[in-house]
Amino acid sequence: MQYHYKIKYATHNTYENPVNNALWQFLIEPKNNDSQFLETSNFRDSYNTLVSKSVNGYGFKTFRVTPKNQITDIIFEAEFSLIKNQVEVQSQDSNLYSKDIIEINSDPFKIEYHSFLKDTILTTLPSDKKNIFLFDDQKTTFENLKALNKWVFIFLYYTIGVTNNRTELKDLITNNKGVAKDFAHLFCAIARQHNIPTRYVSGFLNQDNTYFGASEIHSWVECFVPNVGWVGFDPTNNMMADFNHIKIAHGKDYNDCASLKGIIFSVGKNTTKYSVDVVCQEFIQDKSASLNHISAYNIINKKAL
Amino acid sequence: MESKKTLPIFSSYKTNPIFYDEIFKNDKEIRNTYDELFKLFNEYKVDDFKLLNEKAKLSFLNQGITFQVYDKTTVEKVFPFDLFPKIITADEWDHIESGALQRSKALNLFLYDVYHKKQIIKDGIVPIELISSSENYLDQMNGLEPPGGIYNHISGTDIIKHSDGEYYVLEDNIRCPSGVSYVVSNRVALKRAMFGVFNNYPTCPVANYSENLLEIMQSVKPAGVDIPTCVVITPGIYNSAYYEHSFLAKSMGIELVEGRDLFIEKDFVYMKTIYGPVKIDVIYRRIDDAFIDPLEFNPDSVLGVPGLFAAYKKGNVTLVNAPGTGVADDKAIYTYMPQIIKYYLNEEPILNNVHTYHCSRPKELAYVLDNIDKLVIKPVDESGGYGISIGNKLTKEEIEKVKAVIKETPRKYIAQPIMALSTHATFIDEKQCFEPRHVDLRTFTLLGKDKEFVLKGGLTRVALKEGNLIVNSSQGGGSKDTWVLKR
Repeated sequence: MQYHYKIKYATHNTYENPVNNALWQFLIEPKNNDSQFLETSNFRDSYNTLVSKSVNGYGFKTFRVTPKNQITDIIFEAEFSLIKNQVEVQSQDSNLYSKDIIEINSDPFKIEYHSFLKDTILTTLPSDKKNIFLFDDQKTTFENLKALNKWVFIFLYYTIGVTNNRTELKDLITNNKGVAKDFAHLFCAIARQHNIPTRYVSGFLNQDNTYFGASEIHSWVECFVPNVGWVGFDPTNNMMADFNHIKIAHGKDYNDCASLKGIIFSVGKNTTKYSVDVVCQEFIQDKSASLNHISAYNIINKKAL
Repeated sequence: MESKKTLPIFSSYKTNPIFYDEIFKNDKEIRNTYDELFKLFNEYKVDDFKLLNEKAKLSFLNQGITFQVYDKTTVEKVFPFDLFPKIITADEWDHIESGALQRSKALNLFLYDVYHKKQIIKDGIVPIELISSSENYLDQMNGLEPPGGIYNHISGTDIIKHSDGEYYVLEDNIRCPSGVSYVVSNRVALKRAMFGVFNNYPTCPVANYSENLLEIMQSVKPAGVDIPTCVVITPGIYNSAYYEHSFLAKSMGIELVEGRDLFIEKDFVYMKTIYGPVKIDVIYRRIDDAFIDPLEFNPDSVLGVPGLFAAYKKGNVTLVNAPGTGVADDKAIYTYMPQIIKYYLNEEPILNNVHTYHCSRPKELAYVLDNIDKLVIKPVDESGGYGISIGNKLTKEEIEKVKAVIKETPRKYIAQPIMALSTHATFIDEKQCFEPRHVDLRTFTLLGKDKEFVLKGGLTRVALKEGNLIVNSSQGGGSKDTWVLKR
């Protein structure tokens, strides 16, 4: 099954005092991979500034805007259309965790995945909470991660406005309220605690269903399951990342994936309003237009192989 | 030849047999190298000498060669300068020079490896934990090819002479080693104060450091650039090493900039000038990794240039030293230096390593906790002498405190036997005479594309407090001119 997505992202920034010097960087363009193919990508701001494209430290595409004029408010708009495939996970290939442990603890494995095994400030469990969730040796690694996904979903309440971009796990665990980013951080910390390479993922979420986090840029995680590969889990919604999840970037935590980073030289207050629109349409297979899409996607797929 | 200690200026000089004294073999005999110099100094009366000393001090103050100590208050201080120089013979220097160069090269190959194939870890020489638990390892540097293959363009190697008369390396500094401006200005000050002494000693010049640094910077220019534009970037006037930043820029004849003077467009770096933007190709950055680019690293940094790292990653600008070199400057890596040298260069290490205990290893941790009074405890990721505890100088309560701290985060600490730093004659203001004080030596090594350079000289740092073994300027140390003799 294939799906056609149209995504609109907009942000409106207003500043109390005029800004002479500013730079914004957006990490919002969906990336191409074996389950999604970006057809068109548009980005503009209300001043029609020349947008420069760059990449971040992990190789994901960014848009950068440096307005030449003095501004007090600015609107950024992006539009993407892409094709998404159903994601298939060969979960039956996962071994018992007790068996995987041997591979997980081997040096070549640790060397290969060390970047996604280490804690960051945002994904460090407090020392007395290291055993907050334990894996079951008699289950497969995949089942353990699914259980963790469910556990995080139940442990935290989706609540907007309690946490911010710098909330650490010790505070999150005490309040057990947060947004998608916090769900992902807690998942990352516990999975890494069990030596499962886990990356923080940012992206868009289909709005046709009543999923948590769909009204803004969403976050979930990807774990490397031995014998299976990278698998996406969405602890905010207790589901696997599937055709509803459109990936933008991954990193160690929120700081590597923040959708908007701005350097603004100004005093006074500023406000930022976001809106995200995601519209999904199932593919009608025999229309000629969609055939083109599929062939274009297949070309990309071959390249990836 | 024997010279008697008869004159008051050296009257209370008492050597301690535990330490290697660089001037006196024992209380009577002077080492050959210092013979002439000792005679010259002995011609001065105390009052004359005090006057010279004042002159030298003033010359530093007038040139603005001051530094700041990070403390509750921030005070501008003159880096205390001692007129009695340290002399290194040509043979001795060859040994130090080849040893320092060997270490820098090995560290560079090590850095290339840990950011690419990680073969040294796969081969089991260095454990993966040293990298996966290092805060200075930058994942963003993985797979990146720095121009010329050079990471540590500038290395500072801290060397001491132990009581056995052998040189030992205390640590390698390959983030932004500072101090080279003092090497040059110490020479200037000494020449101004007592020119005559140089007539008796054929001393290698140190003023050629800047031209060599510039050549090194130019050698690692980005691909496709003919004549690179180089700059030095400084955190600003409040940085403790600001004088050095301005000195280096001035003596290389290039611009000294702050983050706000640069901007990025389409992944190229430009400098704002009154004639319009000028493209920048090589940046000697004296800003720590975390602060160079708020878009990629610490978002609160106002010191760096937003977007600089992306420009670097694309190969449009070269950063000197490369980001992420801190992983090899970690004191836990230091322990593996002999193996690292052997692994990459297939050579025996020329300079000795001090035996080091890793608190992260349970057995060694137990030894450290039991023998804390015989050891120096150092945090692995600090510099400037901050956080160091010397076992035999601690009270019982302090020992318990240190123990508790180590047990909390063992990975953060290493321990070394208390090294007997050699002593050198140093003029003590309060006592108005020369007394032995502990010294070490920081050498400066430059690596470029098909080019290498070791400054013939270095920064001899001296601990001015009697018996003190920590020589860092931030801990109340001073410095001496360092002479490397020509053949």
